[in-house]
Amino acid sequence: MSSTSNRANGDVIRDFLSVADLLEEPQLAQLYAYLAREGETTVGELMEALDLAQGTAYTYVNQLVDTGVLEATTDGQPRTYTTRDIDLTITTTDSGREYTITAALIDAVGRRTTDEDIDTYINRHGIAGLATALTYAVDRERGDVTHRTMASDLDISPLAAEIILQALRPIVTEYFEIEPSGGSVADIQGVDQDVVSDDT
Amino acid sequence: MTAIHIADTGLFVAMGHPSKRRYQGVRRFARRNDITFVIPERVYDELTVNISETETPPVDAAIEEQWARIAGQLDYSISLVSRTMDGVQRYIANADNRPADEIERADPALAAVAAQALIEGTADHAYIYTTDRLAGEGAETILQSEGYGDSVTYVNGFRFVEDLLDL
Repeated sequence: MSSTSNRANGDVIRDFLSVADLLEEPQLAQLYAYLAREGETTVGELMEALDLAQGTAYTYVNQLVDTGVLEATTDGQPRTYTTRDIDLTITTTDSGREYTITAALIDAVGRRTTDEDIDTYINRHGIAGLATALTYAVDRERGDVTHRTMASDLDISPLAAEIILQALRPIVTEYFEIEPSGGSVADIQGVDQDVVSDDT
Repeated sequence: MTAIHIADTGLFVAMGHPSKRRYQGVRRFARRNDITFVIPERVYDELTVNISETETPPVDAAIEEQWARIAGQLDYSISLVSRTMDGVQRYIANADNRPADEIERADPALAAVAAQALIEGTADHAYIYTTDRLAGEGAETILQSEGYGDSVTYVNGFRFVEDLLDL
């Protein structure tokens, strides 16, 4: 499954609606992200890792197989399942940069149950909006844009942009190659780095 | 040696609420080292905008606790200040092939506050704490071209906050 769409016109996932529908269920997204990370997995392993009841686990897996994003890899028992690659590619009109963001996007959506900032952003801007934000999060970590560039492009406040970029950062560093940048505590001269004290 | 420590929006967002360990780690670091973070006016405005559903970052708490303050007004009649402002604006625009006048002026303001402190002699080193790599690298690059290469350090706000947690 593959589609290309354009960030600037806002139709990021138009060709991607079946998966976008799927992404409405964070539990399914979590399950997909787990399988994408771990490779071949049995339903029993999923139940244990994601703390799912047997009936729920089978319902989710069957639903994902029906949608075409999971496939069974064995006919024997117990069956193992693996993800099918789904490549959603986003190209920006400005820079012509391309992003394949599917696995990262699905992982991000799966985190909305535990991350309030991601959940709030999806409620306001939808899954397509989150996909767009994810491309800015990659660009920001690579040093191509700032949170203010994103805010002005998307007509949101710089603070809202910064908040979602920070929420998405762990996903960006997991799925994309990011060179470390800048200094840290050790690069600040003349300071006492041993700040462990109880003065609060 | 006197240093100025200039903080961007992302540092305060990364710290979280004053009840969080991250906030407390930064506060402890500032107090222990007698550091007051300087916040450019435009950055302060950005941090205190009222958006519903989101917690306001703890900038006013840090100011009340006297380890952060708002920077004085930028003096554009100092040519280093206005050159730095324009230079960083162009640097950020070029990274993404945009017209320079589309670049929001809070990004270059971080470097301009540093430039003003360096040329007025109120500081001999400027540390810029930001989560925007492009703004940090832009500040270093432009001030280096002005002969202040050894006097400016971009501190990655994420690494800074995380490292303080580990100490």
